[in-house]
Amino acid sequence: MITTSGLTKSFDLEGGSILALAPLDHRIEKGSFVSIVGPSGCGKSTFLRLIAGLEDASGGTVKLDTGSAKRPVGFVFQDAVLLPWKTVRDNIRFPLDTAGVRRDEGNRIVGELIDLVGLTGFEDALPKQLSGGMRQRAAIARALSDDPPILLMDEPFSAVDLLTRETLNDELLRIWQRTGKTILLVTHSVEEAAYLGSEVMVMSPRPGRLKKTYTVDLPHPRGEATKLDPAYHQLVAELRQDMRETE
Amino acid sequence: MLKRGIAGLVLIVALWGGGVFLFNVPDYLLPSPAAVMARMAFLYENANLLGHVYVTVMEIFWGFLLGFLAGILAALLFARFPVSERMSTPLILLLQTAPKIAIAPLLLLWLGLGPAPKIVLVAIVTFFPVMTGMLSGLRFVNKSYLDLARVLKLSPLQRFLHIELPSALPTLFAGATVATTLAMTAAVIGELMGANEGVGYLLSSGQENADTATVIGMVLLLSLMGWSFYELFEALRRRMEARFAEG
Repeated sequence: MITTSGLTKSFDLEGGSILALAPLDHRIEKGSFVSIVGPSGCGKSTFLRLIAGLEDASGGTVKLDTGSAKRPVGFVFQDAVLLPWKTVRDNIRFPLDTAGVRRDEGNRIVGELIDLVGLTGFEDALPKQLSGGMRQRAAIARALSDDPPILLMDEPFSAVDLLTRETLNDELLRIWQRTGKTILLVTHSVEEAAYLGSEVMVMSPRPGRLKKTYTVDLPHPRGEATKLDPAYHQLVAELRQDMRETE
Repeated sequence: MLKRGIAGLVLIVALWGGGVFLFNVPDYLLPSPAAVMARMAFLYENANLLGHVYVTVMEIFWGFLLGFLAGILAALLFARFPVSERMSTPLILLLQTAPKIAIAPLLLLWLGLGPAPKIVLVAIVTFFPVMTGMLSGLRFVNKSYLDLARVLKLSPLQRFLHIELPSALPTLFAGATVATTLAMTAAVIGELMGANEGVGYLLSSGQENADTATVIGMVLLLSLMGWSFYELFEALRRRMEARFAEG
């Protein structure tokens, strides 16, 4: 469970400061898949970075109810952010190695993850030898490797071609259903938000704030049938309308 | 490329030899290539030429090693404690801007005619480019890698070993490559100022005896040594660039 109360962030600029995120009170249930949409400058990335502890809040609090997890969150960045001097395997096992997980245990986990994200045969490749989609898969596998209860994803598929994107979306849904993680996904695509989320947060800019939340009750497992479901199209249309109003 | 380079060298030697022969240039002005070669062979057999080369190489080796390690340590210190950089900048700049040829006599006064003052002089000139290369590498680590370190809650040591140090290797070795040519010059300046062994010593005794063939031979030998030293580090730098730089 993630609870924010009065969470706010302003950035100091020359001659003043801008409010990136107006005070935000929100509660995200454990095991939910929250899509966050909104135009540029709506504070959606800032919200994610505040939860991850990558930014210090200017006010308010974030509470992560993740028990004793030493690393409560995994983060998937917009660019994969793989370390270029490590192979795919070593990048994926980096969180394990730096947490002192035993070598054979690490090998087992990494082997499973490489299968899961479809990178079998590329274990010893360097990131620069991979396509953008493959790099992003490796980044997802890395974020999953030390099994964080919360997975934060900041526009992870924006640099990936459409077909790969749909494949990765379905893989992500599978992973979510299998692991029961809480996932927060920032995206520009209202279709992606509706297809993946159990909840959609719509944010609006100047200043960044939460405009609306939707509970999505499209049935699981989702797939091609979901994309034909009138309820899905209804939601996409409403989200698009919200986005237009926020411009 | 290599073939053309060799052809160019052969042409120059041919012009040199032909010119000396045609215009009947006296030996004390410009000896022929053959005379220089003969002189080198004579020095090899009778004056322990290889022993002198060994002395110079060792001065460069120890001085370079010392300056390289000191440069890295200083960069680490400066990156960790910026106040230490502000405190030592005047001293470093003073040492760096003083002409090496002016420092050499002082070092000879303090440390005698043996290898010690040459080693120190080489270390001084090596220090600066290595330190700045390492420091700029440490300062300009990709921000996303640091975000990753933060999400993974890496310890300062883990962050240094896995992220900062690998990131700094390309610029560190770019600095070291620049330092190779400076190191070579510094060793020879030290030997010219006062020594009883080394290639620079042979060169200055050649000058005292108006033995132009020895002087030219030593200059060519020093060029060859400096060039090899440079190429060695250039190759290392390229490897570091390929492995550790982004892209």
